[in-house]
Amino acid sequence: MTVGSQVKQCLSSLKSIEAGLSSLALRTQDIEAKRNLHETMLVTHEVVLDLEKRVGELEQEELQYKGF
Amino acid sequence: MPDWLDVVVRSFTFLIVLFLVTKWLGKKQLSELSFFEYVSGITIGSIAAEVAMGLERNIFNGILGIVIFAAAPFVAGLVSLKSKKVRDFIEGKGTVFIKDGKVMEDNLKKEKYTTDELLELLRKKDVFQAADVEFAILEPTGDLSVLLKKENQPLTAKDLNLAVAPIKEPQNVIMDGEILDEPLSTIGQSRKWLNTELDKLGVSIENVFLGQVDSYGQLTVDLFDDKLQVPSPQEKPLLLATLKKCQADLELFALETKAKEAKHMYTKNGGKLQGAIDKVTPLLRN
Repeated sequence: MTVGSQVKQCLSSLKSIEAGLSSLALRTQDIEAKRNLHETMLVTHEVVLDLEKRVGELEQEELQYKGF
Repeated sequence: MPDWLDVVVRSFTFLIVLFLVTKWLGKKQLSELSFFEYVSGITIGSIAAEVAMGLERNIFNGILGIVIFAAAPFVAGLVSLKSKKVRDFIEGKGTVFIKDGKVMEDNLKKEKYTTDELLELLRKKDVFQAADVEFAILEPTGDLSVLLKKENQPLTAKDLNLAVAPIKEPQNVIMDGEILDEPLSTIGQSRKWLNTELDKLGVSIENVFLGQVDSYGQLTVDLFDDKLQVPSPQEKPLLLATLKKCQADLELFALETKAKEAKHMYTKNGGKLQGAIDKVTPLLRN
């Protein structure tokens, strides 16, 4: 596995975490817990954005793996 | 009217009267918090029994007596709501039996409690050693309320400085295989959502004896068929594990990469995720 695909795997895991946290935050009844989960979701989203940029850079370097 | 028919009529009449009186007086009468309520409760029962069986007595006199005995604690309750002095007089005050870890012998004598009776009351509260008690008070109802010394109290999350996930009351959404719509709408979910959750667990609705949803929207069920194993909710622990894996991945990327800028970006985001993990670990731990 190339570095590029490893980063992509990590990126998709993070996206799944983001969605999981979001759905958990929506279902949670306690307001404090709801806010904590939502804030964590936002932090995860920032990381996702950074990683997406990095994936773009890596695709430039390893053109043959583009798109996967 | 034959005697037996009279008894039937009287019995039904007093059943209805007693039912209405207990509804009127409510839960406070049942808990018998004061001596007054205790005595009036007994008297009401005695009058009803006496008049139901004693055929020579007048029914209406009996009902009148019951109403008066019911009204007295009711009025006393209303007045004692307003005034602390009346409250202390009617409902009585507690007597301190143990203070600062020392037994108050004079107070024991005043309430005519022997040492054995004090120990019995303590044992009912699971206290076998009087030295473990910091403070104990005999309530007007005759119950002993016990405050243990701090070192003998059960350990709490607060003592350990442990962060725990806040919870709200769970909702019962399935009973005896039937979906209850009202609790379901309280947590803002639909029947469709519930059916999806049941499908995830792999059980059919007819087989569910009891289904509850906790404050994090997780469904737990008890089945009629006790041989079947139901998986416990895995969503939260799985989320936490994936979060930890991603954080470790980021640190690994930071070590592997030669590009300086990328290294910095990975380290920064790894730190961010670590902070996020610390924050949600108490929430996501089962």
